[in-house]
Amino acid sequence: MDTLRTVLEVLSAFVLPALIVGFPLYGLLKKVPVYEEFVEGAKDGFKVAVTIIPYLVAILFAIGMFRASGAMDFMVEGLRPMLSWIGVPPEVLPMMVIRPLTGSGSAAIVLDMINQFGEDSILVKMVATMFGSTETTFYVIAVYFGAVNIKKTRHAVPAGLIADVVAMLLSVFVVRWLFA
Amino acid sequence: MLNYVWAGLIILSFVFGITSDVLDFSKDRYRNGTELTIGLSSESSLTDESRRQDVTVHIDPSFFQSFYGTESRPDSTYAGQLVRSADGIQLRFAQGVSIPEPWATIRSETSPRDNDLRGVMTFESVDSTSAVAHVTFSDVKFVKMHAIAAAAIDMAETAVSLALGLIGVIALWMGLLKIAEASGLIHSVVRVTQPILRPLFPEIPKDHPALGLIVLNLTANMLGLGNAATPLGIKAMEEMQKLNPDPDTATNSMVMLLAMNTASVQLVPPVLLVALMGLQINELIFAILIVTSISLVVGILAAKLLSKMKRFQPVPAVAVDPLNVGGK
Repeated sequence: MDTLRTVLEVLSAFVLPALIVGFPLYGLLKKVPVYEEFVEGAKDGFKVAVTIIPYLVAILFAIGMFRASGAMDFMVEGLRPMLSWIGVPPEVLPMMVIRPLTGSGSAAIVLDMINQFGEDSILVKMVATMFGSTETTFYVIAVYFGAVNIKKTRHAVPAGLIADVVAMLLSVFVVRWLFA
Repeated sequence: MLNYVWAGLIILSFVFGITSDVLDFSKDRYRNGTELTIGLSSESSLTDESRRQDVTVHIDPSFFQSFYGTESRPDSTYAGQLVRSADGIQLRFAQGVSIPEPWATIRSETSPRDNDLRGVMTFESVDSTSAVAHVTFSDVKFVKMHAIAAAAIDMAETAVSLALGLIGVIALWMGLLKIAEASGLIHSVVRVTQPILRPLFPEIPKDHPALGLIVLNLTANMLGLGNAATPLGIKAMEEMQKLNPDPDTATNSMVMLLAMNTASVQLVPPVLLVALMGLQINELIFAILIVTSISLVVGILAAKLLSKMKRFQPVPAVAVDPLNVGGK
């Protein structure tokens, strides 16, 4: 396990430099005018970022309002009896609701729970596993679809949320199975 | 679906905000306009008429609890200052001290800039360096209404700075990918990986560069390189958009990529989580690996199955006029 971890760590440290150096190097070998091509491609950076803005504004302001209104806390309360019935500890509930909505909000929860329960506690292990296993689904939808101006997202939201819900419930059970 | 989720978030925030404000009002949670009795003590005489005077505010915690009908318990003393002016005496608590609810809300609503709780004060009885006094804080109303409006504006600004913050990384990767495309590197990636990927993305033709970009995106994700994964994913989306007959509507492949991204297998946990958890992360890698592997399978299955459901079928861009089928 430890050697595997070291290998992966080294890999992840080297992958970025390898790509950033490797692409131009390979291009040079293939006699591509690398500088010209790079600049030509990079021109899109600004356009893409600006295209994303309306989509991000739409998603983030709605989520911001939802959090500020206290509706999120109410949702957590509403889900509590159902989830505790299937064995999910109530302390990890806020994470399950916030994780698909905001990345910074869910990081704050992990930090908060570390301060409250300590890094060793099984609850922190659960929320950290949730954080590591899922994405900020709505942000990803806004950025990826926004970049190409897709407005009709079809089954993207339910598919993403199904994967999220499964990952969160599994985090609880897998952590309990491994550490309890 | 997103239409409903989005509208739902906004409408629910309003409904909850207004309900909570009405409840505050009916329970008189902030005791607007009601005098709270406190004790004061000072090192100098309180009959002194100096403009500013440091004082210690004494609170009876159980009186506070019954006055506001709350469970939260204040300290028994707080540092403060009296400010005398032509309009009377104002009591200001020290800036940024930790105070219980509902004071914390009163402070953030009525003195957001200086972050000190302040109220109009009158003396009941003064005994040189100690006194009994009444303090009335400013009225607090519509807390949640202010909060949701402020949140909407704040987040709109955050969204723009987030998007603009991406310009550099996106430009960097778009540039590198252009070289990779021109040199045929993407094409090689496509050829090696397409036997695995094609079944998941059947709409993408054989040897299409989108497949290569999807591989790069997923790999970056697995290695916890969120910064690189986003531009790679965007570029993959752009390539898939070129194959899209209806540019407004997501294709099955796009949703598949999205589902694989949100449930992506994590060989190396995201940088942020490592920063938060420190060495403890070592124990969790195996757990994260199991969870993400299963959720990836679930994500793929969900994307595949939902794409066949009738309600998620793309609506044809040009509606056929039933009265006009087959020409005039």
